[in-house]
Formats: sequence, structure tokens, C-alpha cells
Amino acid sequence: MKLTIDDLKKIRFFEGYSDKQLETILMMSSIKEFKVKDILFEQYDELSEVYVLLEGSLSLGISLAKEKRIHLGSIEEGQLFSWSAVFTPYISTAWVMAMAPAKVIAIDAKRLNNEIEKDCDFGFKTMSKIAQTISHRLSDTRFQLMNQMIL
Amino acid sequence: MTNTKNIYKPIKAKLTEVIDESPLIKTFVLVPEEEFSFGTGQFIELSVDGIGEAPFTPSSSPHVTDKLEVTVMKTGYVTEIMHSLKPGVYMGVRGPFGRGYPVEVFYGKEVLILGGGCGLAPIRSLLYALEHVKDNLEKVILCYGSKTPSDCIYKPLFSRLNSIEKFEAYRTVDRVEEGWDGSVGVVTTLLNKIKINLMNSIAVVCGPPIMMKFGTIRLLEMGYKDDQIYLSMEKNMSCGLGKCGHCMMGEFFVCKDGPVFTYNELRNTPDIWK
Repeated sequence: MKLTIDDLKKIRFFEGYSDKQLETILMMSSIKEFKVKDILFEQYDELSEVYVLLEGSLSLGISLAKEKRIHLGSIEEGQLFSWSAVFTPYISTAWVMAMAPAKVIAIDAKRLNNEIEKDCDFGFKTMSKIAQTISHRLSDTRFQLMNQMIL
Repeated sequence: MTNTKNIYKPIKAKLTEVIDESPLIKTFVLVPEEEFSFGTGQFIELSVDGIGEAPFTPSSSPHVTDKLEVTVMKTGYVTEIMHSLKPGVYMGVRGPFGRGYPVEVFYGKEVLILGGGCGLAPIRSLLYALEHVKDNLEKVILCYGSKTPSDCIYKPLFSRLNSIEKFEAYRTVDRVEEGWDGSVGVVTTLLNKIKINLMNSIAVVCGPPIMMKFGTIRLLEMGYKDDQIYLSMEKNMSCGLGKCGHCMMGEFFVCKDGPVFTYNELRNTPDIWK
């Protein structure tokens, strides 16, 4: 499957980028497919790609041990994950598993970081989107924590 | 609008069916001895003779007047006694009381409903009311979260809603159980899935206080204005008449001025999420 700029424009995460910026993203991206129960990456893995879920369903969580996985949340279509690949030490804070057959856009993190440094407008937009993703995840985690404390 | 001629005296209602919704929640199907009507979002005082009464928002359609469904979570003495009742006994109904949802205000709009836990009970009544007038609505979206799949009430409701034109329903759970392959996470995560026209939308939030707080915060972050968000507060209600003062929240009596408020009305009221 080959992505086009028009495909990216339909995905919430890519809203606001210019056509030229979307072209740049396409050049550093590929499509990856996963089967049910495939582990995209484990907690503490070193990451080299940032992902956006195109189709399917993914679960995100942490592990007490490899056999004891705690599901913390789902990743929905159009959402970014594996943002740790952009920031040192590029180590994943969670594992991600496919709960249904999934297709993701995989963006080379090193090339993404180079573009962020080179193009201020692209860099600001990208960092804002990543910050918002992390902010929502933090807010949801606090909600979960308060839920557990009340229980 | 109250049906009971004497607002202090309950009318008798025969318990005809008890439905187990989850380990702690049951729905009681009641047939009042007199015709009984309510506005969606209003509440009643349901009583057991000689034991006590408690406020509940009916979960049935406001357009069905010959029976009433009330969903009860076992949380204390009165509700524990209620949970032990079998069909055939009589309960008491006072009301309805309070201000419900202004359904006509939702006409022409996309209605986003965020529900959690037992908060789905008043929401189900609202959904029935909205289905009745769906030709006047643009879209209705339900996002619902429960602690576990077993704790979800009205399980058949979701597939039913998804089969109705203009209606969409999404579920999530905080903790998975064997066999669950749906969304995981708090209910606000479902807001990432939906497509809604904020400029022409109303949001309704009903559930535990923590869920209502975080839900409202997320809706405001999305761009909803204060007067676009409707909250069902249902806190500490006791007499249902604005006399005992238990439900006072700032300048408001929840039982008289609510339980449905806009966030615009409450934003300067302290401790609304306690």
C-alpha cells in the first residue's frame, strides 16, 4: 500500500501541515502491518520510529514481568504513539500490542528530528502535536489513578 | 411537574420484574397504580414501606407512562433492602422532581453523551427520548466507560444504538477481563475516536464525580463552551423538595434547581466535583 498526501490529510494527527511538509513526512515513512497479538515493541525497548495508527486496534500497557502485562489503554486510529523515539534516551515507556490486525505509518525518528531542527514551522507543529498526545495521556492516567484511589 | 397530588405521599407501584445488570446493580420494573409521567433527567424518590426512600433518576423512556424502570446500585441500607425484593411486592414512588434535560434545546444539534458506571441509567432515559425525536437531531454519540466488562449495565443497548440511524455508541473499560477485545482506558480516551462538529454540538456528562470532572475538562479542552455542556449532578439529594438542605451546592438546591445543570451555571460554584 502506498500512501499519498491526500491519505495523510484524512488522518487527524496530520491536520495543519502544508502539502510540502506532508511530502517530507511521506519520504521518511513506510507502512507496517501487524497480526493479532503481535508486540510492536516492549517496555524499555530502544525505539527508532514514531508511529501513527492507520487501521485496527492496539493496546498499550506496562509489565510487571513479561508474563504479567497490564493493559492501560487503547490506541485509536489516527493517534500517534512511540513518541519516545523523538526524545533521548529513546527508550519506550510502555509496550504496545495489536488487539486486531493493524496497519501503522512508521516514521523514521532520526530523519524526523533532523527535519524538526531544520524547519522551525514543521518543528513547532510536530512538537505541539506530540506534546498534546502526551498531555492527553497524562490526563487520562491521572483520571485512572484517581479512580483507583477512590476505589 | 409532579404527578403525586400530595408531594409528601408516595403512590404505590407494583414491582413486576427485577433485572440483574451487574454484580451491584439491578433494574426494577414498576407499574404505578396511577398514571405516572416524568421528564427525562428528572428524579423520583423510591421507597420501601417502613425502611426508607432514596432518590433515583428513572432509566426508562419518558414516553412510556404505564411502567417505570429504575436502576439501583447497592450502596447502603435502603438499597440493600431494595436489592432483596422480589417481583410482586409494592414500592412507593414520589415525584418526579427537579429539572431534567431540555431536549428541545438539542434539536438540530449533534449530541455527545459521556457516561460512566451507573450514570448510564439517566442517560438511557435520555437516549430513549432522543430516539423519539431523532428526525430533529443531527447525530447522537454515546461514549461509555465502566470499571470492567462485567460492570457495564444495559449490555444489549450498545448494539441496538449502533443499528439506529444517526446513533453511534462506543464502550471502554478501565480493566480488562478474559475475552474482552474492545477499547481499554478511561472514558475520555473514546473522545479520540469520534468525529463531531463542535460549533453545532451539545455535550451531556453523567457518572461518578471523578469521571464528570475529567470529562468536563476534556470537553472544554476540545473547544466546547460552558453553556454547551450539560451535567447531571445528583448529589446528596434527600427530601426532593428543597427543604432539608442536604443537596445544597453553592446557591443551588440540586433537587429543585437541578439535577441537570449547564457547566455555565456551575463553573463558579465551589466543590462541585466532591
